[in-house]
Amino acid sequence: MKKWLERLLLLLLVCAVAAATLIIGNIYFDYISDRIFEDSTGHLSEIYGQVNRAFGAFLERNWKLLEDWGDYLRLIGEGRDAQVEEYLREEQENWGFTEFYFLTDDGSFMTLGGRTGVADLGDDLGQLVYGREPVMVGEALDTGQDITVYAVPVEPGTFRGFDYEVLAISFTNADLASSLNVDAFSGKAKCFVIHSNGDVLLSTLAGGNIFSNYLVYLKAASDIGAEAIDKMTQDWRDGVSGVLRCEIAGVTNCVLYQPVGYQDYVLLSVVPQNVVSAGFLSVQRTTTNVLVVIFLLVGLTVVALIILRSYRLSRRSRVEILSRDRMFEVLSNSIDDIFIMLNASDQHVDYISPNLERLIGIPVDEARRGIRVMEKCVVNDDVVFPKTQLEAIPLNGNIYRECEYMHQNTGERRWYRMTVYHVAIEGVGKYIIVLSDRTLERQMNQKLQEALSAAKSANEAKSNFLSNMSHDIRTPMNAIVGFSMLMDKDAANPDKVREYTRKIKASSQHLLSLINDVLDMSKIESGKTSLNLDTFSLPQILDELSIILLPQAKAKEQEFKITVQGAPPEVMIGDKLRLNQILINLLSNAVKYTPAGGKIEFSIQDLPPAAPQYAKLRFAVRDNGIGMSEEFQKEIFAPFSREISSVTNKIQGTGLGMAITKSLVDLMGGIISVESAPGKGSTFTVELTFALPEHREAEYAARQRVSSILVADDEEEICLDIRELMEGEGVEVSYATSGEAAVEAAVERHGSGRDFDVIVLDWKMPGMGGAETARAIREQIGNGVPILALTSYDCGEIEEEARSAGINAFMSKPFFVTSFWQTVEPLFTGSGGAKETRPEHHAGVMEGRRFLVAEDNELNAEILLEVMDLEGASCELAVNGREAVDMFLKSQPGYYDMILMDVQMPIMNGYDATRQIRASGHPEAKTIPIVAMTANTFAEDVRDALNAGMDGHLAKPLNMGAVRELIGRLLGDDKKQS
Amino acid sequence: MKTRRMLCLVLALILALALCACGDSGDGGAITIMGKKSDLDKSYMQEIFRHYESSTGGKIKLISVEDAEFEVEAARRFENGEGPDILMHFNNADLSRFDVAEDFLYLNDQPWAGELTDSARNYCLDGEGNLLGLPYWESSVSGCYYNKTIFDSLGLKPAATQAEFDTLCEVLAQTGYTPICWPASGCCWMFQFALDPVFADDPELLSKINANETTYAQIPAVLGMAEWIDSAAARGWFGGDYMDTGWDQISPMLSSGKAVMTFIWDTWFYTDFKGGEYTVEDFALMPAFLGTADKGTYEGGNLNMMMVNKNGDRVDEALDFLKFCATPENYNVAFEGISTVSTFVGQNTNIESQMVTNAKPSIAALERVSTASTRVYGYSDVDVSECINSLLTGKTDPEGCVAMMDEKRIGEAKDRGIPGF
Repeated sequence: MKKWLERLLLLLLVCAVAAATLIIGNIYFDYISDRIFEDSTGHLSEIYGQVNRAFGAFLERNWKLLEDWGDYLRLIGEGRDAQVEEYLREEQENWGFTEFYFLTDDGSFMTLGGRTGVADLGDDLGQLVYGREPVMVGEALDTGQDITVYAVPVEPGTFRGFDYEVLAISFTNADLASSLNVDAFSGKAKCFVIHSNGDVLLSTLAGGNIFSNYLVYLKAASDIGAEAIDKMTQDWRDGVSGVLRCEIAGVTNCVLYQPVGYQDYVLLSVVPQNVVSAGFLSVQRTTTNVLVVIFLLVGLTVVALIILRSYRLSRRSRVEILSRDRMFEVLSNSIDDIFIMLNASDQHVDYISPNLERLIGIPVDEARRGIRVMEKCVVNDDVVFPKTQLEAIPLNGNIYRECEYMHQNTGERRWYRMTVYHVAIEGVGKYIIVLSDRTLERQMNQKLQEALSAAKSANEAKSNFLSNMSHDIRTPMNAIVGFSMLMDKDAANPDKVREYTRKIKASSQHLLSLINDVLDMSKIESGKTSLNLDTFSLPQILDELSIILLPQAKAKEQEFKITVQGAPPEVMIGDKLRLNQILINLLSNAVKYTPAGGKIEFSIQDLPPAAPQYAKLRFAVRDNGIGMSEEFQKEIFAPFSREISSVTNKIQGTGLGMAITKSLVDLMGGIISVESAPGKGSTFTVELTFALPEHREAEYAARQRVSSILVADDEEEICLDIRELMEGEGVEVSYATSGEAAVEAAVERHGSGRDFDVIVLDWKMPGMGGAETARAIREQIGNGVPILALTSYDCGEIEEEARSAGINAFMSKPFFVTSFWQTVEPLFTGSGGAKETRPEHHAGVMEGRRFLVAEDNELNAEILLEVMDLEGASCELAVNGREAVDMFLKSQPGYYDMILMDVQMPIMNGYDATRQIRASGHPEAKTIPIVAMTANTFAEDVRDALNAGMDGHLAKPLNMGAVRELIGRLLGDDKKQS
Repeated sequence: MKTRRMLCLVLALILALALCACGDSGDGGAITIMGKKSDLDKSYMQEIFRHYESSTGGKIKLISVEDAEFEVEAARRFENGEGPDILMHFNNADLSRFDVAEDFLYLNDQPWAGELTDSARNYCLDGEGNLLGLPYWESSVSGCYYNKTIFDSLGLKPAATQAEFDTLCEVLAQTGYTPICWPASGCCWMFQFALDPVFADDPELLSKINANETTYAQIPAVLGMAEWIDSAAARGWFGGDYMDTGWDQISPMLSSGKAVMTFIWDTWFYTDFKGGEYTVEDFALMPAFLGTADKGTYEGGNLNMMMVNKNGDRVDEALDFLKFCATPENYNVAFEGISTVSTFVGQNTNIESQMVTNAKPSIAALERVSTASTRVYGYSDVDVSECINSLLTGKTDPEGCVAMMDEKRIGEAKDRGIPGF
């Protein structure tokens, strides 16, 4: 508004200056023109004053001559016509008149040559004859020429018998007019001798006089007003001189009139103004030109300054605009809001922020050509800017609404709040459209909504959980309580007591597993579960899985088969415990839900890793068990999900196993999937990625000794796999698919003096089995070549038979290179001969041992002491950590074989007590085995126990098998001799 | 009886001779008059024929020939000795088709010769002053007709010289008028007005050009005409639309006052002029100034004259008929109410325009017999108009224009077989 006002004021100022300049200039030039006119008309008056005086003198002279000639004629007397004629002819020669006339009082005349006629003197005749005054008359005689007659009255006389009393001479008007011509005006001046009524007597017109009455012409062809005409004619009649400026036939003229001095005759001069004032006008023109040049220079300077200033302002403005544009471009590129400006009249796009393409995938240039192109990005077929809605927005008003756009290239969806402002910029209507990104807000709302739903679900889950837990806990508890009551009642019946005890034990185990799973699940879901990454051996895991699951499968007469596809790394980095947990869950489920006589296959497949430093394995557990419905497959990984069927109802389960498995797989960054059909079995597939340790190839002495081996397996595929693996180790592999062939090959090589360095025999082959083959080989080639048994069975079961057949060592299927070298190493180094690789059996391991037991709970302590007593061990009880430390420190070295340490105890917990023991000066402070014995069963608890200096971890309630296993491992099988 | 028989025989012989004589002429004693059909059909001609027959009992037989065929047919008849007693002919160049001295009577001595006005008499003379026929025709005066009312309103008077005329034109142009209505489209009579003084004032020059001993190009006045027309057009004296101005535009231009002057004849004002803001009373006559005569010129009327076949069968009767026609009481009967300039001194029943009457002194001094179009062999108004229009449209200059005029004139003369060409 202020700028607009400034511009208006500037414009008004310029107009005022221009108007003032024009007015002043006009006044100045009027003044100059008037001065020039005055000066030039003064000049004109002087010139024509001289002309007029000359004409008057000519008139007087003619009259004087006529009077003199009259006197002369009177003096010489009548009758001397010849003399008169001669005299007057001479005078005619001298004075140039055209004719000499003798006139009577009625106008009759006779010329000097004797021609007679009548002159039309009009009113002048009376003045001449009766007034006795000289006259000048135009057009008095019809001579074929325009002439003027000058006449004077004289004494009456007679010429050639003609009585006269007036003498006259005539001049042609052309001759007379030449005397009026003025050379000063380049022949452009017109001069008239006219009567006061306008009748023209003489004129100097170039072609002759064409005017009968010049006054009439002036009235018709000039711009002289009636009043001026009247004044002028009055001046003529009054014998007053005058001058005026007028336009005649479009040309400005100076009209000058002066009385001739005879009658009302006037000398009228008409001279073009530019001729009269030629000199003055030249000065004026020069002055004007100089002034114009000065004004132009000043004007040009002002214009140049204005242009320069305007350029500077424009440049500054342009820079500002460009800077703002640039800033706005940077701003819009750094935010997810879109800005558009449309012309209100035609919706032409004036501006679009450059982030349009980034946000919705439409190039800015394309949108500039037509904003409607954005409509193809709008989800739900909406219209971007309905014209009617835009037009309905009042000036300075706005509308807004939410809309969803989909990126043209990526398909990404974004939510915007579109606000349209109707504004006026310099009077031009504009629509400013702001598309404010609300995607995050929308997503947050969705998340909140989802969180709300999740909270509701969690609440429902909690209710369900409590309901499930109530049911699942009460069920075994009901059995325990019920059978305890029955046991009390039937205490006298040992068979019933044993039966009740077995069932109570089974229910307790179920309850325990339920609690373990619930706690595990809780731990996972709370995010407190972390992975304990360390190197692990895949063959060892498979070996352990075999040990755990083979007995279960065997118990149900199921075929259990482990296969390896490809060459998976044998040592990797991962959480072995969790991996075991996952695989045991899957495999135990397979065993559990596969009917007796069913088939379970466990395969490990090496997949291409994403990077060389990783290994990617696919574990697949396939069974031909009861399978699952399609609906249940969707729910299988949810907690407490168990398919309800007549079969599953007979199978105990917490419904948490697969949920835990799924959570652990997720935790390890893997994926788990299931394919199943009711009655046809299920296949669970887990894909996990493990980091590979820096390569550290174990140095086996056997490598130097083994260059060729013989493999015998009825499955040729296994033979080929082993050959491929071992050839990678630089070992030549021969294989046989039957025992007989193996014997034949061994004998043949033996015969050639090139025995195989090792023979590997499948334990179970059709026809000649592993034992029989080994025996045959031993019989024919002796004991020089080590023989290994490759088996899917529990080694303990076949050990005796195998050793008797001459088998030196055992390997579990599947075949691993590392396992091979570990197995054969002792055979070549002599470090143990045919050492068993299978897990040891620790029965009676505690017999005669003395344990320091730290347990604050009396009931638990009592149970433990009783159990240990049953195992043949003695125990001394400490009720807290402090007491345990004290008792140990006070003991003699070797007094205690081991300390069983509860963790949560009053006064001092188990961890602190362990640390104090380890830190004490007791001779066995560092070596005394300390085993945690706690209800804290998570991996973190195990880790914490180890970190505190303990050597092992036993979970409550105690599994005596595990107790024996651990104690046996820590103390060895050497039974303490008390 | 014998005498009676002889008398009867003589009477029978006389009767037979009379019948024989009648049979030879084939016209029953009537005077044969030959002319163009349109000429013989003129009311005053029909009137004088009727008046003669009713007054004298004499008979007239008209030999009416289609206009286009007239000249050839008439010449053929005279050449074959079959000429009529009286031939009506304009005293123009076509008369060269005849052997005038051998075919026609000179009429200088006829009693009615003094009854003719000077202009009429002059028109009917041959190059040697012989009166060739009795003019019996309507006549007009061609000159510059100007709007006197407009002149008076501007305080102007008619020009007496070419210079004054030019000044007049300039003043009129300056005051917003079109000085001259110049009908360049289809009108061509103006040029004979211009050239009449050239040849009428110098019979020797006329003889030389007809003998192909000189050309227009060698006559300064002809070039003067072309230059004046070219200059007048350039100075705007013809207005702006003169090339599109034709016969029909002359009247409205003059009656509206848009144009002030034009070169035409007085009877046009009574036959074709339609008054508007200005009527015929507003116009007056002054000499035509077309760059060839300083004092200007008037062209007398082209008169149809009756020529007597000196070898005809009824020469005396034909002369008597001419005498009858030239008698005041007869020609005043024939021309009663006819708008024409008087041909006879005693002519008083015709209607003579006031314009001509007022200009009579000037006409008397400056009138020329129509000479260019009638006496110059090969002259054609149309041809000259074509040449002048080429000049006015810038296709040629004045010298080129005159050369074109010569070329066309000489070409036409050659086509007609004029001796010397």
